[in-house]
Amino acid sequence: MTDATDEFEFFLQKQWSDGLPVVTPTDERIAWMLKGTRRDPEEIIGRVPPALGIATVRSVAIHALMAGCKPEYLPVVLGALALMLREEFNMNGVQGTMHGVAPLMIVSGPYARQIGIHGGNGCFGPSFRANATIGRAVRLMMLNLGGGIPGIASATIFATPLRYTACLAENLERSPWDSLAVSRGYRSDDNVITCAMVESPRLCFDDVSEEPQRLLNGIADSMVAMGSWNMHARSDMVVAMGPQHAALCSGAGMSRAAVHRRLCELAGRKVRDLRDGGNWRRERALAFPIAVDPDDDDCFIPAIKDPQDLHLVVAGGWGPCTAVCHGWSGGSRAVHGTYET
Amino acid sequence: MATQHGFMDPTAGSGEARIAPAPRPMDLAGKIVGLLDNTKEQGELILQTLGQALRERHGVARVVIRRKEHYSKPAAEAIISQMANEVQVAIAAVGG
Repeated sequence: MTDATDEFEFFLQKQWSDGLPVVTPTDERIAWMLKGTRRDPEEIIGRVPPALGIATVRSVAIHALMAGCKPEYLPVVLGALALMLREEFNMNGVQGTMHGVAPLMIVSGPYARQIGIHGGNGCFGPSFRANATIGRAVRLMMLNLGGGIPGIASATIFATPLRYTACLAENLERSPWDSLAVSRGYRSDDNVITCAMVESPRLCFDDVSEEPQRLLNGIADSMVAMGSWNMHARSDMVVAMGPQHAALCSGAGMSRAAVHRRLCELAGRKVRDLRDGGNWRRERALAFPIAVDPDDDDCFIPAIKDPQDLHLVVAGGWGPCTAVCHGWSGGSRAVHGTYET
Repeated sequence: MATQHGFMDPTAGSGEARIAPAPRPMDLAGKIVGLLDNTKEQGELILQTLGQALRERHGVARVVIRRKEHYSKPAAEAIISQMANEVQVAIAAVGG
C-alpha cells in the first residue's frame, strides 16, 4: 500500500479523526457494528450542531466503529447522542465555547456492567475499552458531524483531555449507596445515562480526616476556585467520591442525600473573597437564579446554585481521594434518561 | 458513500448544504440597522457606542437593539423574524 492510500493516513489527512488513527469503516465492518442494534440504520437520531450534520443509526455506527467500539457498545453511543442533542443540553454552545469542557457520560444500570464500562480503579483514564471508545465515538461525531473543530466552529482556548473520551460508570460494588440514577427515581435495573458538561477532574486528597465534617470541608474547598464558572454562573458539577471517602461518610451514618446536601451548604465563598480574583462581576451575581447581595461582603455565594446541578457519584478505586469536575457557564443543563439496549 | 479507496465517508449523507450569505449593502446611509445583544456582560455598552458611531459617521437613520436569551444559544425565531421585519441590516454580536 502506498502512502497515498494508507488507510490510517487517509483518515488523518481528511480530518475525519481526533488526531489518532481510526478503525477504517468498510462495508463489512459497518455491517458488523450494526449487529449491535435492532434499530433501522436509516433512522435519524438528530442533527449535530453547529454544522447540523445528520446523525443516523448508520452514521453513529460508522463513528462507533472508527472509535474502536464493539457492537454491544452501540446502544450506549446511540442513547448518549440522543440525550446530548436535547435542547437543554445546548450542544450548539458546548461546541463553540471558549471554555474547555466536555460532555461527561455517567452510565448506570445492568447493561453498563454487562459490557464492561468501568467505574473503579483508574476510571477516568486509559486501559478500559468501553470507556475509551464510547466517549471517543461521541467526540468523533461532534467533530465530523457537528464541526466542533478548534479554529473552525470551536473557539476553545485549551479544550481538555476529556475531549478524547469522557465515559465512566459508578463503582457500585464499593459504594455504600444507591446509584446516581436510583437517587433520581430510576429503578436499579434501568439503563440510564447522565451527561454533564464539565472540566477535567481535579483531585482532592485527604488521608487525614476521620469524620465527615473535615472530609467534606476539604472536598468543598475543591469546588470553589475563583476562576471556576461554578462561582460565577449556574453550572453543573460532578463530584466522584472515592469509595474510601464515601465509606467514611456512610460509616458515620450519612446517606447520599445527606452528603449531597452538606456539600451544597459548604461549597461557597463570601463576596469579599471572590472580589480578589477570578471572574467575579457584580452583574453576573445579579443574574444568578438565587438571590444574593453582591454589595454585601459577607454574602455567601454557593458553588451549587441549584441542588440538582451537583452530580454526586461513587467512583474510582480504593484510596483517600475524591475527583471534582467543575462545570460550564454557558447555559447547558445536565441531561439524563434511559436508553434502548 | 464509499471513497475511491473503498472506505466509507463518515460524513456522507449528513445533509451538507451551502447557504448563500445575505447581500451586503454598499452603504448604510438612511438605513435602519439592528444590533443583536448576545447578553455578554457590558456588550450593551459596546453596541450602544457602535450604534451611535453608525448614526454619526455613516448616516444610519435608526438603530434597533434587541437582546437574545443567552449568549451560547441561537436567537429565538421570534427575535429573528422581528428584526427581519424591522431593520434593513442586522449585526449579531459574537464573543465577549
